[in-house]
Amino acid sequence: MRKLLATTTLAAMLIAPAAWADTIQMWVRSGIGDSFKETVKAYNAGHQDKVELTEVPQTDLVQKYATAIAGGQAPDALSMDLIYTPSFAASGQLEDLTSWAQSLPYFKSLSPSHVRLGTYQDHIYGLPLSVETSIFAWNKDLYKKAGLDPDKAPKTWEEITANAEKIRALGKDIYGFYFSGGGCGGCMIFTFTPLVWGAGADILSADGKKATLDTPQMHKAVEYYRNMVKKDLVPPGAESDNGANFLSIQSGKIGQQTLGAFAIGTLITQHPELNFGVTLIPSVDGKPSSFAGGDNFVVTKGTKKLDAVKGFLEYVYSLEGQKIMAKYGSLPTRGDLADQVLAGLDPRLKVGVDAIAVAKTPYTLQFNDLINSANGPWAAFTHAAIFGDEKKAFADAQAQMQQIIDDAQ
Amino acid sequence: MTATSPSGTTRLNRPNRRRKEALKGLLFIAPAMILVLVLFVFPVLFTAWMSLHKWPLLGEPTWIGLRNYTRMFSDQRFYDALGFTAYYTGIVTVVIFAFAFPMAMLVEQKRRAVPVYRTFFFLPVVVGLASASLLWTWLANIDSGFFSPLMERLGVTSGRVNLLATFDLAFWTIIAMVVWKIAGFTMIILLTGLQSIPAELVEASRIDGAKRLQRFRYLTLPLMRKPLALALVLSVTGSILAFDQFYIMTSGGPQNRMITIVYYIVNQSFVSFNLGYGAALSIAVLVILLVLSVAQLWLLRDKGEQA
Amino acid sequence: MTKARTNFERRRFLGNFAFHGSASVLSLLFLIPFIVAFLASFRRGPEASSPPVPPWPVNGVSFDAYRMLDTFGSGIWQHMLNSLIVSLGTVVLTVVISLLAGYGFSRYRFPLKNVLFVLLMATLMIPFQSILTPLFIMFAKLGLNNSLFGLTLIYVTLQLPFSVFMMRNAFDAVPKEIEEAARVDGVRDVRLLTRVLLPLVMPGVATVAIFAFLNAWNEFLAALILLSSNDKFTLPILMTAVRAGRLGSINWGALQAGVVVMIIPCIIVFLLLQRYYMRGLTAGAVK
Repeated sequence: MRKLLATTTLAAMLIAPAAWADTIQMWVRSGIGDSFKETVKAYNAGHQDKVELTEVPQTDLVQKYATAIAGGQAPDALSMDLIYTPSFAASGQLEDLTSWAQSLPYFKSLSPSHVRLGTYQDHIYGLPLSVETSIFAWNKDLYKKAGLDPDKAPKTWEEITANAEKIRALGKDIYGFYFSGGGCGGCMIFTFTPLVWGAGADILSADGKKATLDTPQMHKAVEYYRNMVKKDLVPPGAESDNGANFLSIQSGKIGQQTLGAFAIGTLITQHPELNFGVTLIPSVDGKPSSFAGGDNFVVTKGTKKLDAVKGFLEYVYSLEGQKIMAKYGSLPTRGDLADQVLAGLDPRLKVGVDAIAVAKTPYTLQFNDLINSANGPWAAFTHAAIFGDEKKAFADAQAQMQQIIDDAQ
Repeated sequence: MTATSPSGTTRLNRPNRRRKEALKGLLFIAPAMILVLVLFVFPVLFTAWMSLHKWPLLGEPTWIGLRNYTRMFSDQRFYDALGFTAYYTGIVTVVIFAFAFPMAMLVEQKRRAVPVYRTFFFLPVVVGLASASLLWTWLANIDSGFFSPLMERLGVTSGRVNLLATFDLAFWTIIAMVVWKIAGFTMIILLTGLQSIPAELVEASRIDGAKRLQRFRYLTLPLMRKPLALALVLSVTGSILAFDQFYIMTSGGPQNRMITIVYYIVNQSFVSFNLGYGAALSIAVLVILLVLSVAQLWLLRDKGEQA
Repeated sequence: MTKARTNFERRRFLGNFAFHGSASVLSLLFLIPFIVAFLASFRRGPEASSPPVPPWPVNGVSFDAYRMLDTFGSGIWQHMLNSLIVSLGTVVLTVVISLLAGYGFSRYRFPLKNVLFVLLMATLMIPFQSILTPLFIMFAKLGLNNSLFGLTLIYVTLQLPFSVFMMRNAFDAVPKEIEEAARVDGVRDVRLLTRVLLPLVMPGVATVAIFAFLNAWNEFLAALILLSSNDKFTLPILMTAVRAGRLGSINWGALQAGVVVMIIPCIIVFLLLQRYYMRGLTAGAVK
């Protein structure tokens, strides 16, 4: 009996190196499309290590991850909205990936804003997983019906407003423009701030220590939106949409909308009937800009499956992995492969890649409190400024943002 | 708390017999007490302990004494949350009673079909607040919902009104949802009070020539003090702790104007991860509720005994 | 004489009319949200996001909405099972524990009895939202987080003050003579409880059970914070994902179907146990 046991143990030990398969627990936020899910599926089909995905609602991910760490139940890795990487890295809960990352031959060509946000005090804690930029989309069929040139992208907000008016005239339930205005901080930072960024203004100072909301550029941007709301070019539902109906253009009844590059993939696969064009978002003075968002891949400190995690990430960065990601709407994270990856895919995705060059991302440890939280000052500001008392909105939000920044120092 | 111990009073009061009885009694209540102590009382004490720390969700807590409490006094958002909670509690309680009292009088009558009506009124009570909020989120949606398209179709409003866009409309939509959901419960409590009024008394006062309103004022109301107090306490404490409906239906309302105190605690604890401050806020709410409950009960009971 | 009689009859008719008229209108107001949601959930997929005016399916009945709901999370059956496990577990544990405690508080004399009872009741005044973080940290240490059993324990604890109060009142209401007779026959303690008293406090048990079931079935914040993997999510957590939208839009069909799925068991349980439920509630309110 004992001998038998010894033999099997020995056998197990001998086989182990070959058959040793890890299952990586990984969380991903829901609502970023299918690209990552498909990549994981492909990886699991061809590798011994498996990745087990748990989809967590986007709004709960940070909280759930933080509570899970506190409770020692954290997944090995997760795909985290890149703007959160600084604050999690600062809290010392993430695995330091610096030396491994720098040893990757293509390290220099990984999306720079992702790496910048993944870096805290010269150590790298997060690496790009998916790249997402904001872009401007228009419905070509509605353009045609309204007598506009369906292939001519609007270049200024005057043009957008004029086009919206023509489209609105098409019918009772057809509207010229859409945005999620019901206090969706995450939507508005993504779609609305490019209006001021392109014109050289920002909502936070470069070091993130001062709120700089009250600028002429921001006032101008607010005016454009207010004007369109006043002229009834925006559906009334927008006023209470907290982001759940972000992709309203898919109904075919919205003429123009700012959206994320991942939506290009979603629209192509889920709504092939929709004939739309995309371009860069013009700022208030016409110079385009964009928000570089997406997810960083972070590893929980102390995970026992570090090597398996690295193996998986290398697969994501391979041409095969990048191609699957792109096919389902995520932009390439490796600049050196971008052209190869996008070859043969929808040309509209190229606009999303072009946006990376002009895109910005705010770097602040209080991103959630300031911007993303449904009850933060930015969310309240966008709603109040566009639908309510503009002057008060500026004063309140400026003061509150500064208060939050100061409290955290 | 007037339970009598049968064995103690009917037989000889021998000390060791009493001790044995006490032990048995403690054994019977032990499972309940252990659960409540471990999963409720201890966490409350833990909350109090946490409130004296700067306690980030990640990383080490540091002792800061009463600083979380002093911060509270200069926190405008805390005052806003308190103000809104009071506003909501006041209005929703009045509206619930305005519906529940007539409903209770309606279903108190001995007529045909009354049990059916009562069941219908009560039905929303049994669904969860989360389900009810989800349901009404849909019903109140401007594009895919029920209310505003219906009003437009009936010609009540020209065009559709976005019920969740402005503070007042959204607030009254939520009040309507809560009344729909809760009024049946309050109705039942009041009904028990109405039914406990002896029929002879009502008859006697009627013979004495008391008018309907007089009967209500001088007979029904005083006799219903206890159920009224109970209904009031449940309604007020429930409203002060409101969270689900605002979270699900308006995410805190247009421009954060519907942040209740519990919502603020949840935000501070689970969105901003200021667990220490969140704990201090929880303690504040706890104190407010205790004071309110005691005051409410005391006021109503005292008057009742004088009458 | 005849004139007085017709007068009386007319007044009675008017009274009846006013009564049934107002009661019917009110009933309708209370029922409409249910009816609309129920009917609308059987519309075809593409209709789901158009307003339910009229609410019934105009282009034929379909289960599209329910099929759509099944594509969220780990599938609707898994989440329904989770909700059932938690709810039924809560019912059983709550009934047993509160039965014992109610009996203890009603029939035994022991030191600190009133203090303990008040302590138990006082927990009703504390928002449990505020103790979720300590609970989470404790559960993590005990390995009880992300477990349906852990969640059940919390639900039982939250049910206890009300349930013990109910059961104590139920036992208090049982005439002492019945017990005396049993005692003379030598039946006491646990046997007295299960053989003699239990049948007499069944209405109380039914109340406790139905409240435990409904509250556990409907609770969502604790579940949201404690459960972290997909396959453990209870129905309300699944529904928050539906409400949050997918791919930039809310699937209203799935929301309608989900609400119906969440509501139907509550209504069935209530209608089946309504008699006991109301009786128990009434007994509780009068005390």
